Amino acid sequence: MSKFLILMKTSYKQKVTSKSFLFGTLLYLLVLTGAAFWPQISAALFNDEAQIVTVVNETGSDLQELLISSDDFIYTFVDTNIDDVTKNIGKDDITLHITDENGVLSANLYSFDPLPLNDETAILSTLDYANKIYAVQQLNLTAEDANNILNAVPMTKTTVLNEDVNNNKSEGAKSAGVWISYVVGVIIFAFIMTYLTMIITEVASEKGSRALEMLLVSIKPTTHFNAKIAAIFALALTQGAVIGLYGFTVFNFTGDGQAMDVMQTIFADVSSTYMFFTLAFLIGTVLLYVIIGALFGSLVAKVEEANQVMSPIMMVTLAGFYIMLSGTFNPDTLLITISSFIPLISGMVLPLRLAGTDMSIIEAWISLGILMTSIIVLYAMSLSFYKRAVLTYSTGGLLQKIKTILKVTS
Amino acid sequence: MLKLENVVKRYKDFIAVDHLSFDMARGEIFGLIGQNGAGKTTTFRMILDLQNTTEGTITWDGKPIKSINRDWLGYLPEERGIFPTMKVEEQLLYLGELRGMTKRDAKEQVNFWIERFELEEKRKDKAETLSKGNQQKVQLIASFLHRPKFLILDEPFSGLDPVNKDLLKHAILLLKERGTTILFSSHQMENVEELCDHLCILKRGKSLFAGSLLDLKKQYGKVKLRVRTNTTASELALLPGVHHVEQVRDEFILSLQDEQHAKAIFDVLSGGQFIEKFSLDYLSLDDIFKLKVGAHDV
Repeated sequence: MSKFLILMKTSYKQKVTSKSFLFGTLLYLLVLTGAAFWPQISAALFNDEAQIVTVVNETGSDLQELLISSDDFIYTFVDTNIDDVTKNIGKDDITLHITDENGVLSANLYSFDPLPLNDETAILSTLDYANKIYAVQQLNLTAEDANNILNAVPMTKTTVLNEDVNNNKSEGAKSAGVWISYVVGVIIFAFIMTYLTMIITEVASEKGSRALEMLLVSIKPTTHFNAKIAAIFALALTQGAVIGLYGFTVFNFTGDGQAMDVMQTIFADVSSTYMFFTLAFLIGTVLLYVIIGALFGSLVAKVEEANQVMSPIMMVTLAGFYIMLSGTFNPDTLLITISSFIPLISGMVLPLRLAGTDMSIIEAWISLGILMTSIIVLYAMSLSFYKRAVLTYSTGGLLQKIKTILKVTS
Repeated sequence: MLKLENVVKRYKDFIAVDHLSFDMARGEIFGLIGQNGAGKTTTFRMILDLQNTTEGTITWDGKPIKSINRDWLGYLPEERGIFPTMKVEEQLLYLGELRGMTKRDAKEQVNFWIERFELEEKRKDKAETLSKGNQQKVQLIASFLHRPKFLILDEPFSGLDPVNKDLLKHAILLLKERGTTILFSSHQMENVEELCDHLCILKRGKSLFAGSLLDLKKQYGKVKLRVRTNTTASELALLPGVHHVEQVRDEFILSLQDEQHAKAIFDVLSGGQFIEKFSLDYLSLDDIFKLKVGAHDV
C-alpha cells in the first residue's frame, strides 16, 4: 500500500470512528427522522382539538357568516349578557364580545389566563377579515358579494422576452426554490464549519505533538497534505452519503411513502439543473475549505492555537451565511448577485439565486468555473506554503506566524 | 558514508550553521554536541532534508542526501512527538508500515522492542496515558523500528531514569552491531563519551572540533590527577606543575599543566611508600566541553 493510502486510511479510520463524528451524524439522522415523522410527532405533542370561542354579539347584525370557524377555533354564538359570561369564565375559555361603533366592529377578547400570541393573532386576524366584510355589508351587499369584492385578485402572467434569462419560473417555484436553497445553505454552512474545524485541529494536533516531524522523515509534506485533505474530504462524502441514503429510506418507507410524496411535491418546483449546481457547489465549497483548513492548521505551533487561525475564516463563512439569509427575503439584490461569484461564499448564495431569480444558467457556470479555478490555485499555493510552514514553530497572531514562516524559510 | 561539506544555514539576519564539515563512517556512532541554540537540530533537519541548506553539500555514499530512500532514515526529534490518542502498538505498527515495513515484519519488530523496553503492559494503552519516560521509549522504538541504515537521535537520554538509560544504551549498541550508523546529540557528556567513536563540537553554528574522541582528548593530554592522600589542598597546590586543586569528598582532583609533572608528584606524595589512590587520566569530555565552549573560549 502506498504511503499516501496508509496515511489517508489511518486518518479516515480514526475520524470515522470518533465520538464527535458519530454523534454529529446521529444528530443529522435524528433531524431527518423528526422531519419524516413530523405528522405523528406533531399529533402526539400538540393538542389538535379546536378551541371554542364564545361570541357575544351585540351588533344587532348576524355575524355567523363572517366569523368563519377553522381547524383551530370554532366560533359559537350565545345569547347571553357579557357580564354573565365573564363571571363564569373557565380556565381555558375564550370569549369574544362584539359591538358596533359607528359602522365598525368593536371587539373585546376575554380569557382567564393570557392567550398564547399565536392564538390571539389568529382570532384577531379572523376578526379583521370579518370587520371588512361587515363594513362592506353596510352598503347593503350580501355577504357573498362582499366576500367576492374582498377576495378579488387580478389574473397576472409574466412574460420575459430575453431568452437568455427566461427560465419560465413561476412565483411559486421561485418561492419554493428560495426555501429549499435556505435549507441547502444551512447544510453547506454546517458542513463547512464541521470539516474546516476538523482538518485544522487534525493538522495542528499532529504538528503540535511533533509527531509530524517524525512522519516527514519518511514521507514528503506533499503526500501528507494530500492524504489529510483526501481523508477529511472522504469523511465529508461519507457523512453526506449516510445522510442522503438514510433520508431517502426514512422518507420513502414512512407512512406508506407519504413523506416522500410531500418531498417530491416540494422538489418538483426545482429543476435537475438546480440539483446539479447545488451538489457541485456543496462538494466544491467543502473541498475549498478543507484545503484552506489544512494550510491554516500547519501555521499553528500547537493545537491550542487552532482557534486563532480559525476565527478569520469562520468570519468569512458567517458573512456568507448571513448574506444567504438576507437573500431569502430578497434574492435579487446586488449583494446577492456579487456574492454568488465569490468562491468562499458562492456555495451558500448561488443555489438561492439560481432558484429564486431568473439568473442565466451561464452565470451559474461562470461561478462554478471561478470556484473550481480557486480550488486549483489555492491548492497549489497552499501546498507550496504547507511545505514551509509545517516544521516552523512560531508565536503571535496569524500574520505574525506567516511573516515568521516566510522569514525562516526564504 | 555521510559527509557534510561546508554546510551553511543562513536566515535573513542570523547564521544557524556556519561552514560545518564532518564525515561519518558506516556503522559508527557519532556525537554532535553543543549548547542550546548551537545549530544541532538545524543540522539534523538539513541532513534529513527537512530544511534546505543555504550553502554546502550533504552526501550519503557520494550521492546527495535528498536522493536516498527515505525509509533508510530514522529520526528521534528533541521535542517528543507521538500520536496522543493512538494506542502504543497501533501507532508503532502504523509508523512501521509508513516506513516500508510489511505488516508481519512490523509486528515482529514491535513485539521485540516492546519486550526489550519493558512496555508489555502498556501495549494497548493510549500514548497520552503513559508516563513521560514511557512515551519517550515508544518514540525511540518508533525511530528505529524499521531498521534504518542511518539513525539520528536528538537528545535521546533526556527524561529517562538510570534504568531506562541503560536500556537505551544497550539498544543503541545493538543497532550499531546490526550496522546502523548513528548520529546523536546529548547534553549528558558521559553518554557521548561512553558511546561515541567520533564527535563534533558546535558553538553558535561553527565547528570547534570534528574527529575522534581520543584525538580530542590527546589535544589536552593526561592532565587530570586523582589522589587520595593526607596532604592538604594548600600543600598540593604548591607542587610543581599543579595549577588547580579541587577536593571531592576524601580525594583531590589536581589539574596539571602537563602530564610530564605526574611522575615527580607521585614521588613526592608516595615517598616510596604505598599510596591508596593515584590515578592520571585524560580530561573528561565534560571538562573539555566546558573549556572549549565556555565563555573564555570564543
